[in-house]
Amino acid sequence: MAEIRFAAGAPHAPGLIGLMQTAPGPIKDVVAHTYRSLGAAIASSEIDVLIIFANDHLANSRIRAYPDFLIGMAAEHSGPYEWFKPWIGCRDYTVKGAPDVAAALFNGMTRRGIRMFAQNENLKFDDNISVPVLLTDIEGSGVPIVPVLQNCTVPPIPDQHRCYAVGQALGDFIRNDLPADMRVGLLGSGGLSHEPGGSRYYFIDEDFDRWFLDLVASGDHDRLLRELTLEKMEAAGSSGTAELLAWVVVLGAIGPRPGKSFGYAAHREFKCGVGAVQWDMDANQPKLCAAAE
Amino acid sequence: MGLEKFDPSLATHDLVQDLKWSPALRDEFAVNEAGVLDRYPLRQDERYAIETRDFRTLYDIGLHPYLGGQLARLIFGNEAGKGATVAVNKLVESLQGKGPVR
Repeated sequence: MAEIRFAAGAPHAPGLIGLMQTAPGPIKDVVAHTYRSLGAAIASSEIDVLIIFANDHLANSRIRAYPDFLIGMAAEHSGPYEWFKPWIGCRDYTVKGAPDVAAALFNGMTRRGIRMFAQNENLKFDDNISVPVLLTDIEGSGVPIVPVLQNCTVPPIPDQHRCYAVGQALGDFIRNDLPADMRVGLLGSGGLSHEPGGSRYYFIDEDFDRWFLDLVASGDHDRLLRELTLEKMEAAGSSGTAELLAWVVVLGAIGPRPGKSFGYAAHREFKCGVGAVQWDMDANQPKLCAAAE
Repeated sequence: MGLEKFDPSLATHDLVQDLKWSPALRDEFAVNEAGVLDRYPLRQDERYAIETRDFRTLYDIGLHPYLGGQLARLIFGNEAGKGATVAVNKLVESLQGKGPVR
């Protein structure tokens, strides 16, 4: 049985690269500590592949033909897409893909009743994949990735219950379809509170962010699914905060378990709250194994 | 102001997608905006709102806010800390009541 050896959720705000010079020292320290810690955890977990779920941000598909989940099946993934490069303020990068895992994911989710779409071509990446890849040095680690870009903003948006169910199917796929000795990492890329394109563009909902980080670190998934509604996320930042649904997919895959936060930072120029959680993949193992049997 | 007025049938959505996907179209938009707009089945009020940089009206008739933010960057600038900041400020100014920010 393949196993999930790394699981985390982290923001991908473009300002974390292009506007970092505007942040005061303590904010910079939180950001640096967060992404260095995640990068070190990815490297030390010795994973064979990292599957990244992230908001597509309307980067790849027409708004009237919009997939809820789009898998990148390329052998290499390069980014950012040219128009997003000056906006993020980042360099170009290329990371290895995992076409076999991507194809197995597409087929495995289809068999489990989850409609996903998949493309062989390099997907258009904006901050969604570019920021975590660059800040955690996935390129340097050599870990192949499978990007899965999801609909977090075009109504009807798959809600927390649907995304958790997708995550449960993802976990079942990893345990039962992938090679027995494979070690898998999962990253939910997105959040925290922000309202890109909205009248509250500079709004950061610190109360929501701290509530969310504490909740997902607690491992209480019943409460998460009860309280993390689309309405609550929209109130904390329309068209942006709901990309925390990428974290919910990861949580569905790993099941209830505690996590650790790396601190929290709110800086107006980032236009987004910043905080990440890494979940303890060695916790609750007996219960999970029993459930899997 | 969220997604409650979202109307996916607006042609402005396609305009924004095409502009961000095509450097050649962006170059043309910069020197001949009217010629580019002519190719899209824009409603009269929709086109006038684009021409006058009236994001408030575009949102009221159904433009998705995420693409509205990108339209602002396509018009006012897309570089971190420079044009992109101008674009955010112009957009917010329009949405918070000013309307046209040409």
